[in-house]
Formats: sequence, structure tokens, C-alpha cells
Amino acid sequence: MRRTPTCEGMSIIVGTVSPDGLPAGCRAIAVVSSDEMKTVTVYVPMATSREVVANVAATKRLAIVGSYPPDHSTMQLKGMTTAVRLAGDDEHELVRTRLERFADVLHAIGVPRRVIRSINYWPAFAIDMKVEEVFEQTPGPKAGTPLR
Amino acid sequence: MTRLADISRCFQGVIPSIVVTSDGRGVPNVTYVSQVHMIDEKHVALSCQFFNKTRRNLDENPRAWVEVYEPLTFQTWRLRIRFLRSEKSGPLFDAMSMRIEAIASHTGMKGIFKLIAADVFEVESLEKNEGFLSEAAVDTSEQTSLDGVRSEVRGLQYVSEQINRADCLEKLLEAVLESLDQFFGFEHTMILLVDESTKRLVTMASRGYGESGVGAEVAPGDGMIGTVARERRMLRISGLSHELRYGRTVAREHGTPSAEVPLPGLPDAQSALVMPLTIGDRLVGVIAAEDRDPLRFGEWDEAYLHVIANQIALGVDRITASDDDDEAPVISIAAPAPKSDTRRTFTFYANDDCVFIDDEYLIRNVPGRILWKLLGEFQRDGRTEFSNRELRLDESLGLPAIKDNLESRLILLRKRLDEKCPDVRIVPTARGKFALQIGAAIQMVEK
Repeated sequence: MRRTPTCEGMSIIVGTVSPDGLPAGCRAIAVVSSDEMKTVTVYVPMATSREVVANVAATKRLAIVGSYPPDHSTMQLKGMTTAVRLAGDDEHELVRTRLERFADVLHAIGVPRRVIRSINYWPAFAIDMKVEEVFEQTPGPKAGTPLR
Repeated sequence: MTRLADISRCFQGVIPSIVVTSDGRGVPNVTYVSQVHMIDEKHVALSCQFFNKTRRNLDENPRAWVEVYEPLTFQTWRLRIRFLRSEKSGPLFDAMSMRIEAIASHTGMKGIFKLIAADVFEVESLEKNEGFLSEAAVDTSEQTSLDGVRSEVRGLQYVSEQINRADCLEKLLEAVLESLDQFFGFEHTMILLVDESTKRLVTMASRGYGESGVGAEVAPGDGMIGTVARERRMLRISGLSHELRYGRTVAREHGTPSAEVPLPGLPDAQSALVMPLTIGDRLVGVIAAEDRDPLRFGEWDEAYLHVIANQIALGVDRITASDDDDEAPVISIAAPAPKSDTRRTFTFYANDDCVFIDDEYLIRNVPGRILWKLLGEFQRDGRTEFSNRELRLDESLGLPAIKDNLESRLILLRKRLDEKCPDVRIVPTARGKFALQIGAAIQMVEK
């Protein structure tokens, strides 16, 4: 089965750029979708996403990469953000569980769980994005190939 | 203010770093890179292995954002960088390329998984990603205690003395590996020497492995050891399991069946330090150390192993070049009577130039031919005492006229016999002399 950024255990990073061309990113904790990735919601910790949130407010552009650490299978989504909001209490459990699954995956390749558990994941911003492009990004000759 | 040197562990490639770029239209792109190389306080380099989106974006917008990870605490640091140039040759390219080639060779991806360019960037700012971790990261700043340094200096002195005192190659190699373990904590090490006739590296001594691996051969350019031998350059790799996973992923994506060369030594090694043994430009051999700790080897280890490697090379050269043909008193060693119930069959395969003991591979090439000569003379005339000089004069053995490495070939033969057939032993009796001890009924078959 092809892993996507919405799967559990993925390492997720978001990338943005400011109106004057300065890129910035941060680690995200979870990506979810209810419509087969036509739209997604990505959760980024408030503590480390100040620049990312400021950039998407100005440019709407967002890139999301999800990679599975044990085999580096990687996919990138690109699109336009439609909303940025503070994640609600009803989303806390989802974000916490995703962080825990990520800790499980890294634990299996030698990173202690406590290291991942120490990531400041809450409160978080929820960023909604309309997906425009999907790319293969697993290291190798097919990296960069459009999947959609 | 934090300097790049203060976070040097972030640049060892244990945890992949993140790079964000954007194209001319303002569309961002995120990618992982296996290692950010620190050049100096103001510059870093990224490896360009595939002509990818990041590379194209940099031509349109040279600004990039990088996040690197401190591997022990997972604390992250953010760099704003500006693309300056791509280097496709020179010392930086060579250093980055060698690391990639070693991994490529090790995962059967030689020639496919390679460095296209070293992309050089100016570092515009560096800041700690405050608030990333909920607990204060443990201060793991590298502290080398004075006691530690004193112990290592004593170690250097000790190794140096052992090398100078050694009167034979075997003692020299064993003393070096023992000292590295005792004074420097290098528990898993091996030394390979160049066989001048085949140009391959042959494992001559090892420490800290279940199987000694003596006799294992590595071709120049194969794996980490072979790459170090071919390039005559040191290689230090941290986070080896990550690098190997990355290499295997590329191999899988290429659809190339992996012809992975088994790394001699620890199957779960996380870090490696491999050093060429050279005299001038001439390669004598390679010394390799491995560890399960991904951050075991730092710059300091590299520095003192370099000093030791130079001494080993000189010591090996001194011993192998010295004349061991001079007459010396011989200690006679009587051959023990064969045990009645022990029978060993040696088979020489002329096509492959190798000798099997019963049904198991024993040795090949010159040491194999030496063994065949010794056993033949024992069977024919009952001879048990031999000299290096007569081996050198026997043209059928194919020893090179100069730099024949006879002593290392005899060590190899002796150790292989110890491991595979302890009923037949080669025992040094004096300088340049040795005896054959046979404790079993021998049968010789030639095919």
C-alpha cells in the first residue's frame, strides 16, 4: 500500500515562503483528510509555527511532505490554504495519538520514545489546504514525478 | 551567540535535515537531505545527488531554509542560507563524494547513487528552534576531560612503543588492536593489508568480532573499506543505519537487485571510522573501527587514529622490507604423532588456485600454493622444517620479486589453519624459519 502523509507514523514537514521570497518551514504532527486528499488538514505546533502561519496568511501557498522513516517512502502535497485556525479540544486526542505513533515508528529504528514525546505539540494550529499537486518524493530517479 | 561549531553534531548526518526552497512563482518545496556539511562558520554545503526540484528552485530563488537536528536531544536549529555555487570537483566535492560512493558501493548502487555536485551556501543566520521541545534539552556539549586526554596521550605513546618493538608482523598488528581497545575504547577493529600480487586487501588481524574474518578480501572501490583504499582518504560515518536505509531505498526505486557486499564485522554497526595506511602515496593497507553507538567517532578520534595509522604503515613497511633470510639458531619442534582417528583431506583446485580442507574453503593463491608445497614435502620426505629463503627461491609459488609480503602470507596461512584445521599448524622457530606440525593423517587430492 502506498503511504501518504495522512498515514500514521509519518514524519511530516510543512514548507512556506514569505511574500518577499524567504522560505520557512516547521515540523507538523498530523495530516488528515476525509475526501481522498482533495483537501487536507495539517496540524502544526503553535510553539514553532509562527513564521509558517504568517507566510500562509500572506501567500496561501503550502507544501506538505510526509516520509516514513524506516524506508524513506515519501510523498509531497502542494496547494492553497483555505483556513488557519486554532485546533479545538476535540482534535487534541487525534494529534496526541499521531505523535505517539510517530514515536513508535522511530523507536523501532532506535530513537527513544521519550525524545519524540518531548516535542511541544499542543496547542496547535490546524491549517486547511486544497491539494493541487501530489508528487512522488521517495529518494531515487522518480523523485519529483507528479502523482496527481 | 551560537556558532555552527557549537552544534557540530547536527552536521554528522545521524538525523536527516529539512530544506525548504521556493520557485520564482513563490511555490514552496520541502525536501529531506541526508547531511548538511559544515564547511566553516559562514558556509555549509548540501549534496546534490539527483537533478531535483530543490536544485531548479535555487536557480530561480537562491534563498533556502534548513532545519538540522541535534541527534542526542532532538533539539532543532534553523539556518537561513543563500546559494552561492555548485562545485563539481575539488576537495569539498571529493570529501562529500567519497562518503556517498562508499554507501553506494555497500548497497550495490555503485555508479548510480552518486554525487552530482556539492552545493555551497552562505549562512545568513542560525537560531535555536525555541519551544520545539517541552523539556529542556540535556546539555550534552562535548567535554573531553583532562584525564581522558592524558589517557589517550599515554595510549599514543604505548602504541608507538609497541610498533617500534614488534619484531614480526603478527605481533605488531595484534599489539595495535589491543592498544586501541585498551586506551581508546575501540572494541571492534580490523587491519587489512594490500596483497601486491592481486592488489586486493586481505584481512590480517581483527579484534572484537565472533569470527576473526582473517583472510577476508576486499577489492579496491568495494564498500567503505575498498573506497578508502582506492581514494587513499579517511572516512568517518555516523548514523550508518540511516545511510544504509537511504541507499537501499534508492536501490529499490531503481529496481536494481541489491548486490550488497557484506560489511566485514558488526551487522548492526551505527558508526565507522576507516583510515588508509599509506607511506607517501603508496597504500599499505586499511584500518577500520566500528561501533554500535552512532556518535562513537568524533574529530578527536579521527586525529589520533590518523597518527596511529601512519605509525602502523611505517611499522608494517619496516618489518616486511627487512631481510628475514639471515641464518639464526633453529628451535626444533618435533611433529606430534597423528591421532589414530583423525584424517584430514586437503584438495587443491588448480582452476581456482585454492585449497579446501575436507569440504570447506581454506585458502587461495600464493598462501595456498605454499601450503601445498609444505604438505607435499612432508608427505614425500617427512620434512617438517622450512625457511622463508627457500620459499622465495621457489618460482612455482609465484611470489613477486620485490615486496613479496611473504610474512603476511604466512600469517594468513597460519591463522586460517588455526581456525579451520588445528591439526596442521605452522609454528615459527626462528627468524625466517618455521616448522610444520601435523597431528592427523593427511590425504592430498589435486583436481
